[in-house]
Amino acid sequence: MIRLDNVTKVYEGGTIAANNVSLDIQKGEFVFLVGASGSGKSTLIRLMLRDEPVTRGKIWVAGKDITTLPKWKIPYLRRSVGTVFQDYKLLPNKTVRENVAFALEVLGRPQSVIGPQVDQVLELVGLEDKAQRYPKQLSGGEQQRVSVARSFVNRPPIMLCDEPTGNLDPKTSVGIMKLLDRINRTGTTIVMATHDHAIVDAMKRRVVALENGKVVRDDETGGYEAAQG
Amino acid sequence: MSRVLFLLREAMTSLRRNILIVAGAVLAVFISLTLALGALVVNEILRLNTIAWQQGVHVIAFLNDEGDSGIPMGAHGDLLAEIQTWDGVKGASYWDKTMAWEEYQELFAGQPELLDIDPTILPASIRIELTDIELHSSIRFRLEQRAGVVRQVATAAESIEQLQSLSNVLNVLGLGMAIVLGVAAVVLIANTIRLAIYARRDEVSIMKLVGASNWFIRVPFLLEGMIEGLIGAALAVFAVWLGTSNLARAGQSFALFRLDVSQVFFFRWGLLFLIFGAAAGVVGSMLGLSKYLRDADGTGPDVPTGF
Repeated sequence: MIRLDNVTKVYEGGTIAANNVSLDIQKGEFVFLVGASGSGKSTLIRLMLRDEPVTRGKIWVAGKDITTLPKWKIPYLRRSVGTVFQDYKLLPNKTVRENVAFALEVLGRPQSVIGPQVDQVLELVGLEDKAQRYPKQLSGGEQQRVSVARSFVNRPPIMLCDEPTGNLDPKTSVGIMKLLDRINRTGTTIVMATHDHAIVDAMKRRVVALENGKVVRDDETGGYEAAQG
Repeated sequence: MSRVLFLLREAMTSLRRNILIVAGAVLAVFISLTLALGALVVNEILRLNTIAWQQGVHVIAFLNDEGDSGIPMGAHGDLLAEIQTWDGVKGASYWDKTMAWEEYQELFAGQPELLDIDPTILPASIRIELTDIELHSSIRFRLEQRAGVVRQVATAAESIEQLQSLSNVLNVLGLGMAIVLGVAAVVLIANTIRLAIYARRDEVSIMKLVGASNWFIRVPFLLEGMIEGLIGAALAVFAVWLGTSNLARAGQSFALFRLDVSQVFFFRWGLLFLIFGAAAGVVGSMLGLSKYLRDADGTGPDVPTGF
């Protein structure tokens, strides 16, 4: 579903954020990208979203080489990739319902499709009774649920999550992880950058550890730290 | 259809939300186009008056009375017949003392104290229309050679020539002003749209995140610019039309100078200004958007942020 082939990203000034990274992520996998701050987790997420161009190497997403994708085709890539960020990225002057519907309106879906699809996804994230509230009237966990709902409402085959629990307390984080796990079980491939040890250890999914832009570990069902001995 | 409605709704929401910035842009377009259209109207008024004056009497020869100072009876008729044969004379007519008195009474109807005169002191005259206004000096010269019959020569031709050159200068000035103010309107709209994008940068980045195409992001801003341009232009056309109508009403009693402009003129230029306003809005929006969307299309500057 996602393949990175010797990907390198060097920023102006010579900072190497990704150093010859190769990864193969299968359909339906749940992959954690772990590592300290500055290890290159977020850069990999942004490269997979074509938010930034690679310096060297190739990235294939859903069978397409996105490193040579013309600019005008980038929106089409993003329609097949849901994204969740630490800062939720919600529109403050739109209600929960409008925020979620926005992702479908941008795609030009008719209201007859948008209505039922939004209802369904709000029910999935447990916010059907708060559909008319504005983001500032919600807790952090609820705002992140809205963000998850928006990224999933279009049923994308891939979801990229950059520290989605970074601003949440442990209990709320568990709720978000349960939601992502549920979405993963529908067949959606999820790649999540995190430095939350407890979550990675509890989920027991594939872990890719990064250090100074290099992959230093790739465990099928590992924990945050490398197994001793 | 739902997409069109969504884009229109987004444009209207943005207009409502940034009401002060929008008011600034509308005002800028309004002022620019009012000045430009005002210049056109002044030019049109001058043009109409020049034409009116050109079509009227160009030279008047006031005559000494027949029978006085050795001027024989029938001298006026002879001079008229001669003038009618001169090159450059389109037509000439004789106004006797009775006609002169009637005209005098008409001109000073509002000032009865001036009417208390002896009508016989008003001279007869020959009124001449020229084929070409530039011939006025040679005709004047020939008339002045008849010092016995001709008492005095009056001509409006010099004023008409001055008016013509003024009209030419105003044409150039008006065109220059219209270009400069038109560019100013475009730049101001571009600036407004840039401010509007800045105010909505989070929204735009989220639109890009969920896969909106550049055109989908552009259209509400283009509509916004177009609406601002249209409102500004409509207000300018209305203001100049209102001003000119009032001026024409006020100038009705002013017989020598026409201050009215035809409705056809307003319809034609009004329509052109509305189209220009809308186009200026769209061009301004595109200018305002281009840099932002180029920077935000995923291939912008490489800046290491929280990797």
